[in-house]
Amino acid sequence: MIEALQNLFWILIFPGFVFTVALGLFASWIVRKVSALVQWRVGPPLFQPLYDIMKLMGKEILIPQDAQRTVFLAVPLVGLAGVLLLSTMLWRITIAQTAFVGDIIVAIYLMVLPSLALILGSSASASPHAAVGTSREMKLVMGYELPLVLAFIVVIIKTGGQLNLAEIAGYTPALSISGMLAFLTALLCVQAKLGFVPFDIAESETEVASGIIIEYSGALLAAWKLMHAMMLVALPMFLVMVFLGGFGTAGWPLVWGIGKYVLVLVLLILIKNTNPRVRIDQAMKFFWFYCGIALVVAVILASIGNYYGISWL
Amino acid sequence: MNQQELNNRLSEIKDKLIDDIEQKADNRIFLLCEAENSYAVNKFLFEDVPLRFLIATGIDSDDCFEVLYHYSYDQTGCMVTLKAFIRDREKPTIDSIAPFLPAAEWIERETHDILGIDFNNHPDMRRLILSDDWPEGVYPLRKDAQIPAQRPDGEPSSRPTVQSQSPARRTVELSKPVVVVGPFHPLQEEMEFFQLTVDGEIVTDIDMRISYNHRGIEKISESLQFDQVPFLVSRICGICSASHPLAYVNAVEELAGVTAPDRAQYIRVIINEFERIHSHLLWVGLAGHFIGYDTVFMWAWKYREPVLDLLEEITGNRNNYGNVKVGGCREDIPNELKPKILKELDKLEKKTEMLTKAVLDDPVLHARLKGVGILSKEDAVKYAVTGPTARGSGVDIDVRRDNPYAVYADLDWKVIVQPEGDVFAKAVVRLLEVLESVKMTREAIKKIPDGPITVEVKEIPPGEACGCAEAPRGETFHYVRSDGGNRPIRHKVRAPSYVNVPSFRASCIGQPIPDVTITLAAVDPCYSCTERLAVVDGHSKVLHDYEALLKLSREKTARIKKEIGGPEFKLEDF
Amino acid sequence: MSATAKREPRQTGREFMSWKIWSLKKSVWVFHVNTGACNNCDIEIVNLLTPKFDIERFGMKLVGSPRHADALLVTGGVTAQAAPRLREVYRQTPKPCVVFAIGACGCGTGIFRSGYHIVGPVDKIIREIDPNAIIAYVPGCPPKPEAMISGVVKALSVL
Repeated sequence: MIEALQNLFWILIFPGFVFTVALGLFASWIVRKVSALVQWRVGPPLFQPLYDIMKLMGKEILIPQDAQRTVFLAVPLVGLAGVLLLSTMLWRITIAQTAFVGDIIVAIYLMVLPSLALILGSSASASPHAAVGTSREMKLVMGYELPLVLAFIVVIIKTGGQLNLAEIAGYTPALSISGMLAFLTALLCVQAKLGFVPFDIAESETEVASGIIIEYSGALLAAWKLMHAMMLVALPMFLVMVFLGGFGTAGWPLVWGIGKYVLVLVLLILIKNTNPRVRIDQAMKFFWFYCGIALVVAVILASIGNYYGISWL
Repeated sequence: MNQQELNNRLSEIKDKLIDDIEQKADNRIFLLCEAENSYAVNKFLFEDVPLRFLIATGIDSDDCFEVLYHYSYDQTGCMVTLKAFIRDREKPTIDSIAPFLPAAEWIERETHDILGIDFNNHPDMRRLILSDDWPEGVYPLRKDAQIPAQRPDGEPSSRPTVQSQSPARRTVELSKPVVVVGPFHPLQEEMEFFQLTVDGEIVTDIDMRISYNHRGIEKISESLQFDQVPFLVSRICGICSASHPLAYVNAVEELAGVTAPDRAQYIRVIINEFERIHSHLLWVGLAGHFIGYDTVFMWAWKYREPVLDLLEEITGNRNNYGNVKVGGCREDIPNELKPKILKELDKLEKKTEMLTKAVLDDPVLHARLKGVGILSKEDAVKYAVTGPTARGSGVDIDVRRDNPYAVYADLDWKVIVQPEGDVFAKAVVRLLEVLESVKMTREAIKKIPDGPITVEVKEIPPGEACGCAEAPRGETFHYVRSDGGNRPIRHKVRAPSYVNVPSFRASCIGQPIPDVTITLAAVDPCYSCTERLAVVDGHSKVLHDYEALLKLSREKTARIKKEIGGPEFKLEDF
Repeated sequence: MSATAKREPRQTGREFMSWKIWSLKKSVWVFHVNTGACNNCDIEIVNLLTPKFDIERFGMKLVGSPRHADALLVTGGVTAQAAPRLREVYRQTPKPCVVFAIGACGCGTGIFRSGYHIVGPVDKIIREIDPNAIIAYVPGCPPKPEAMISGVVKALSVL
């Protein structure tokens, strides 16, 4: 009983829903503010993402007449649940050492849920505009999932077959050639997963918002925005734990960990602001061909390094 | 051919096809004929002489209908108008000239809509400018038109009704938050502004519906006094708002036989050239936005602001200046303002030169815009396009030189022409025109004489006259007819976009989809025109909308940039 | 400039309603509708995005779909062809929402009053389907971007 309540607390308050949402809204403010400054504008005030969510909660929900009602209404929550579990899991591992063998695989599965939810939601919208976004998002997901998994495999090889996130976080694979290759590739895949330029083909963050969530409004739209904000917490965290040596819980390692998280966030923002959008087939070619080759090379290097004990490979 | 030779040429068909030739002035000729002969005369004028087609005007005179076909002979700046009289008031018909003159297609559809004249053999007599639910048989520009007082407010028929509980919601809390609405996005209807039919990646056909902006200006003009009309016509299009009143005033001053004082003419030139500068910069910004260079967009619109501020200091408004009146100008340019204007012009010239150089040198822009949306010279003539659209296709016409008004004949400037006909050529034309405008304005500011800015006009005698002006988009043409009273009895307005826009049929067909937005933008139509866009495949299934096409366009730019490795515009460079 | 918002006395559920309106004021997503304008107002609206005016400071942003919008910036004295579209867009905007009639044309058809193709200013068209709509007026021909921002902010403070 106590344990159930404890679990509920962890999932809903800390480090689960409330904590992740707060951190996520702050992270999305950082993204918007930095983008505005780069464009010589002032940008939004600090609590703007929170106001956006609150406002959306107060609006009507309009459902297209031909939409698949159940799917339309349910999938934002599915996506939200996926990210929530991922974030809770990652933070618990950092704070309370509750890692288990194979948790990295569970994390990879959970990461797919938000993208799947977006695809299902937009195809349930019964709108031609959303349909365009659906097909593009599907292609994009097919594009980057494989390189992402390959990148993690590189790390698994480098750490000598560890499938336990807490152990992996003890290493810093990015400080090697294959690890750096894998890190950069994973970074770009995360860029695509977050729907940031140059891979925001399915939905644009600025005013030209056609595509996957065009038919959503009100509280459902708020759910999508929340999901996106939480992904801004969970995914860079994941990258930090796998590639950059994880998060400490107190003192210097904590500050260092926060620094690493901020570094990943800054990299995402920089890439976002210095590139135009790419076409979908260009994106797929980029992920399958270029990233694929880079990762095959990385796997080979990592295997050699692991076999011969050369850590910088 | 000089003027005398032109007169001789026109006399050839006298007594055979036309009944009379009236020479109102050296360069204003009116040919009179009956409706039965109009086809032959038009063919002669367009193909044999040849003249440039401007527009056609339908008029409801008391005992007959008239259709006026206006032509221009650019070498001497002569305007030739063919007046075709339709005697049958019950069932007015005339032969369509669209089979050999595509530029006439739209105006004949419009004349049918507003006057009820039938055009035989017109390829496509669909409704053009009146709304879908406008009743049949009500022709607004007829003198006896019965405009329904209770305007028809039809619901769009093809769309299922929307049930929203909104009216009751504000007083009922906690009601079900979920409502059911129609399945389609509101901006997607069958009657889209632009509708492209595609086969795979290539555009095979393009259609346009322009009723959304129709406000019935020509009819409103008939109810205003001559002096009030400039305020009306400056609101035809926000960004040509100095050119329309100037063309109208040119026509009325010709009719009344007055000339505005020199200082007023200089002021008119200065205001018009400022408008050209900020309109072209607006276009540059939009073009950049379409192909993904958002820094160019923000740069161009940032540098428009000083020009708009100057205009506000002179006339009191950033747009819609209200400065031109019959007989002169309303607002003077204070002499204390001159140094500031010259300083701003210098700054602007520097920045525009940098941008022009950057555009001319950028390999990505070359790859993105060269060879795209080509409008050949023959098509440019057939569709009677004007302005940078024409000059970018090698057609050397410019009203300021061919049919000079105000003081353009006294200033030192040149017409910019590029032969290629693609979007790149039109961009170059516009950028170089900005530099020419800066030069012209500088000269005008230095040379402006002192004196009065208005001359009194007592009355407008009966008669008719044509006036034109070179708007940023091309030639604006106004035709005014008066019966001696206070108001025009017919005022025909032709905006340059009216002839430029249909040329899409020639330039867009055969283009791949990502190039559509930039090809459409190259004509520089009003911004709201290009917002409504849809792409359908052969079976009328909507594939893309405007935002999607915008993305495609920018993606292509990014792809080209990757392949070429071109430089990125940095805001700090400017 | 005037910003008159039509208000109904809200007795029931006032507390429940007020947080919705409060957060609406903090985060206004704007959708632009052109019902037959001469483009002056439309260009000034696009000017709002540029660095000189930057509406994102106020939490406003331009969205591409009425489903995401809280405020409609409507320009143009409504033409007969555009009127059904305007009504459709209004219906598909989730309530609560504010309609801004921008410019002389939007507020009262402006100089095109006697045009045969004009079916009436924005508020007439909107009230045909929703008599309780919240409509604010920003006159001008065109209103300067500063005027538009001021009008929007004023209207929101009256809500």
